[in-house]
Amino acid sequence: MRVLETGNHLIALAAEASRVEVVPAYPITPQTQIIEKVAELIDEGRMNAEYIPVESEHSACAALVSASLTGARAFSATSAHGLAYMHEMLHYAAGIRVPVVMANVNRALGPGWNIWCDHQDSISQRDTGWIQVYVAGHQEAVDTLIQGFRITEDHSVLLPLMVNLDAFVLSHTYMDAEVPSREDVDRYLPPYKPLWKLDPRLPVTHGSVVYPADFSETRESMQLGHKNAREVIREAAREFEDVFGRRHGDLVEGYLLDDAEYLVMAMGSLSAESRVAIDRLRESGVKAGLLRVRFFRPFPTEELRTLCRDRASIMVIDRDVSYGMEGALFSEVKAALYGHADVPVRNLIVGIGGRDVTYELIADMAQKAWNGEIGDVTWGDSHTTESHRVTREMLCEFDRLFESEKEVR
Amino acid sequence: MYQIRVHGLGGQGAVTLMTWLARAGYDQGMHVQAFPFFGAERRGAPVMAFFRMSDDPIDLRSQVYLPDLLVVMSPDLTGTAIEEGIDEMSKLLVNAGAELAAKLSERFEREVYYLDATGIAIKSGLEIEGMPMVNIPFFGALASLSGAAGIDEVMQFIDEVAAKRGNREAYEEAGRAGFEGVQRVSAGQKVP
Repeated sequence: MRVLETGNHLIALAAEASRVEVVPAYPITPQTQIIEKVAELIDEGRMNAEYIPVESEHSACAALVSASLTGARAFSATSAHGLAYMHEMLHYAAGIRVPVVMANVNRALGPGWNIWCDHQDSISQRDTGWIQVYVAGHQEAVDTLIQGFRITEDHSVLLPLMVNLDAFVLSHTYMDAEVPSREDVDRYLPPYKPLWKLDPRLPVTHGSVVYPADFSETRESMQLGHKNAREVIREAAREFEDVFGRRHGDLVEGYLLDDAEYLVMAMGSLSAESRVAIDRLRESGVKAGLLRVRFFRPFPTEELRTLCRDRASIMVIDRDVSYGMEGALFSEVKAALYGHADVPVRNLIVGIGGRDVTYELIADMAQKAWNGEIGDVTWGDSHTTESHRVTREMLCEFDRLFESEKEVR
Repeated sequence: MYQIRVHGLGGQGAVTLMTWLARAGYDQGMHVQAFPFFGAERRGAPVMAFFRMSDDPIDLRSQVYLPDLLVVMSPDLTGTAIEEGIDEMSKLLVNAGAELAAKLSERFEREVYYLDATGIAIKSGLEIEGMPMVNIPFFGALASLSGAAGIDEVMQFIDEVAAKRGNREAYEEAGRAGFEGVQRVSAGQKVP
C-alpha cells in the first residue's frame, strides 16, 4: 500500500506488518510519534500486540528482553537520553541473546539541550553488542525494520538489532512510501521460532553467575554472532529484493562506484543528500562515488577493503565525534583499511545537533578533502544563520574572559 | 523538482499548508516531501516550512534555500524570507493587497506575486481565535502555482478539510478565491 506518512509513522506501520506481538515503550521526543501510532493501531484492532507502558527506558528494555524470552516477537523505540538510560539493559539484551528490534531516532545528547539530529546517541552504544543499521530514507526505514526481524531471529545470529533513523529529517518529514501488507510480509518473514523460551512448566535459570572459566566463551559467541550476521544480512537483502523488488544495499550501498576515483562515505540521511552532491561533482567532470555504510555493527570490513582499493582519496562524513579522538566512522574506516588499501582518508564532522547540511557543502568539502586542502579532521560549517553567528561570538567572548582570568591569576 | 519555502507566523498554518500540498501532489502520483523547521512551537513566532515535489524519488534531505516559490504568509517577514535565500528564477508570493505588493516590489526591486489571503479569509468568515485562516486561500494559490492540483482536486480536498470542521461553503469560497486570485506586479511598476 502506498502511503504519505512521517518516518515515525512508517516505522510503526512496518512493526505492525511484521506481526510484532509485544511493544514496551516510553515516550521521548522525537520518537513519541512511533509509539503513539503503535498504541493507536492496537486500540483500533489493526495490530494484535500487547502494549506495555513502562515508567522508564531502562524498564522498557527490561520488558523488551523479558517479552522476547517468552518467545514473543518484541519491538520498542527510543531516542537519545532514552537510549542512554537503557545502556545497562542494552548489554543485557545482547548478552542473553534476544532477537529484538528497536528503532532509535538519532538525536543529540544534552546539555546544551537539543532535540535535533546527530548520531552521538547510538554511536555511544557501539560496544553493547547490538547490530546497528542506519537508514537514509523513508522507504528504507520500512524495509529495514522488516529485514531486521529476519536478520536478528536467524539462529546463527540472535543479537538485538537497532534501526537508526535521523531525527526530524526522517522521523517527522512526510514522504511517500510503500508499506507491505502483513500477508506480503508473511512471504518474507516466517514466524519467530525461538531456540528455547521461558516456560513455567520447565523452570530453569538463565543469566546467572558465569565464572571466569566460561565467561570468555559467551563473549566470543557474541562476536561469532556478528560474524555470522554479515552473510545473513546479505541474504536478507537478496531475498527482500526477490519478494518486494526493492533493494537498499546490504552492509553497504554503492552509488556510481565502478569508475570512481574519489569517494564520500556516510551514514543515515546525509548519505541521501550525498548522492545529490555526487551527481553535481560528476556533472563538473569529477569521478566521484558514494559508499554508504548501512551497518555500523557488524562493520562491513570486507566490503570496505574490496571497494576502497585503488581509489585516489576518501572523505568520511561523521555526524558524531568520539571525544579526544575523531569521528567514529572515520576511525573504523581507517582500522578496516589498515594494511589493505593505501589511500588517504579525511574526516568531515557535520550536522551536529541538527545543523542543516546541504549537498553544496558536501561537494565543496569533499573536493577540499580529496585535494588535501583541509586537515585530517575538519568540523564543517553549514548554512550560517544569525543565531549561529551570535553563538560563535558568545563562545569567543567566553574564551577571552577565560584568557583574561588566567592573566589576573 | 519543484521546491517551496514558506515563511509564516506560528498559528497561520504554514506547516499544515505544506502537508496539504504534499497530499495533493501525492494524490497525483508524484513523489513529495513536506517538513517544517522544527523549533519551539509558539503562536506568533516566525515559522519556516518546506515542500518538494518530483517525478523521481527525492534524495534531498536539506532545507530549501533556493525555492521555485517563496511564500510569505505575513508581509512583515518579506525581508527575512528573501535573506534566507532566493534566486533570479524564484517566484515571490506575498500575503498582500495590490498597494502593499507594489511597495514591496519597489523596495526589493523584484517581481512580486500577491494574494490578499487575509482579506479573503476575513471575507469568507474563516477565523480561529481571531486569526484569519490564511492557509485555505494559500492552499488554492500554491496548488495553482506549483501544479500540485487543479481546481477540482483543490475543491475536493477542501471539502474533506471542511467536513471535519463544518462551514463548507466558506472554505470553498476561500479556496477558490486563492486558486484564482494570485496577481503580479513587476519590478519598477508604479504604485497604483
